[in-house]
Amino acid sequence: MMWTDIVFERLKANCLEMVCHVPDSVLAPLITRAEADPFFTVIPLTREEEGVGVLTGAYMGGRLGCLMMQVSGLGNSVNGLASLAIPYQIPFLMLISQRGELGEFNAAQIAMGRAARPLLDALDIQHFTLRRVDEVATLTDGAIKTAYTARRPVALFLSTEMVGWKKEG
Amino acid sequence: MGNEGQEIKGTGFINRMGATRYLVSRAPQALIVAGPGNAKFDLAGAGDRPQHFYIWNSLGLAPSVGLGLALAQPKQQVIVLDGDGGTLMNPGALVTIARLAPFNLLHIVWDNGEYQLTGGQPTATATVTDLAAMGRGAGLQHVAAVTTMTEFEVGLETWLTEPGPWLAVVRIDKSPAPARPPKDPVWIKLRFMETVNK
Repeated sequence: MMWTDIVFERLKANCLEMVCHVPDSVLAPLITRAEADPFFTVIPLTREEEGVGVLTGAYMGGRLGCLMMQVSGLGNSVNGLASLAIPYQIPFLMLISQRGELGEFNAAQIAMGRAARPLLDALDIQHFTLRRVDEVATLTDGAIKTAYTARRPVALFLSTEMVGWKKEG
Repeated sequence: MGNEGQEIKGTGFINRMGATRYLVSRAPQALIVAGPGNAKFDLAGAGDRPQHFYIWNSLGLAPSVGLGLALAQPKQQVIVLDGDGGTLMNPGALVTIARLAPFNLLHIVWDNGEYQLTGGQPTATATVTDLAAMGRGAGLQHVAAVTTMTEFEVGLETWLTEPGPWLAVVRIDKSPAPARPPKDPVWIKLRFMETVNK
């Protein structure tokens, strides 16, 4: 199975029905599959921070979800995480496509990519990184479980070691 | 609604506290999400209730929270109370609401043309920007703009009964909002969730 098949299956198994996203080429196959499956409510955002609000409202209404985005979107979401999700104790999964690390061609992706984990550490938001396909199911299930136990968002990074990088030079 | 160069201080615009009280009396069962600033203060002033979710910071996210709630709870009326500053912080919320189009969402924007809580610095709606036009441009099909209490009262009957999502831009005066809601975010949330999922 591809990593996308496993994540898709784990999102369903854990009842993460609300899929908020700003498109990303790595996440695109997952988003397309979710759109085709009536189990999911797919919410395309204009900016990732909106997703923190939408998932807060959905959680209070009894529905769970995840926020899919490129790592730049984490930068766009910081105040929403710090002022809403953390103080009000709102759990959800952030599935983050990593840029700025192994194989990056775009200089403008480096700083945000490198800042992502220290930033999450500063907010005390736990994060895990998917590096091998055989770990995807365990880490996805575990991250979701921890989010609901901690009543906080948890981040799951998709590393370029696992998903590859753009071939641009 | 043309806002260009309008002098709104001391004129006959709607009073936010009065309009909030009227709204609560007309929609006692509705779930109300109030954005940071005076929208949440006047909602508390109308009488604190479990049906209120007060956002203490996160300028711009009130309509996004309302959207998630409306999608999760399609059988309940969801009302968002926000200001012009919050709307201008996150105009993308208008776009996302238009795209998802939950029929049970009423988004009210109290527009006083200023950042009232920080000293009355003018927002763009005081001069050049028309939030109702922005809503229509975002793709919202049901947009209203009102400037008198009578228009608000008549409009509200439509906004609460005809399928939305509705965006209502309400021109208000500059009265202060002295009341304060509860301050513990977790307590606000748990009390609200108990009501939502009853």
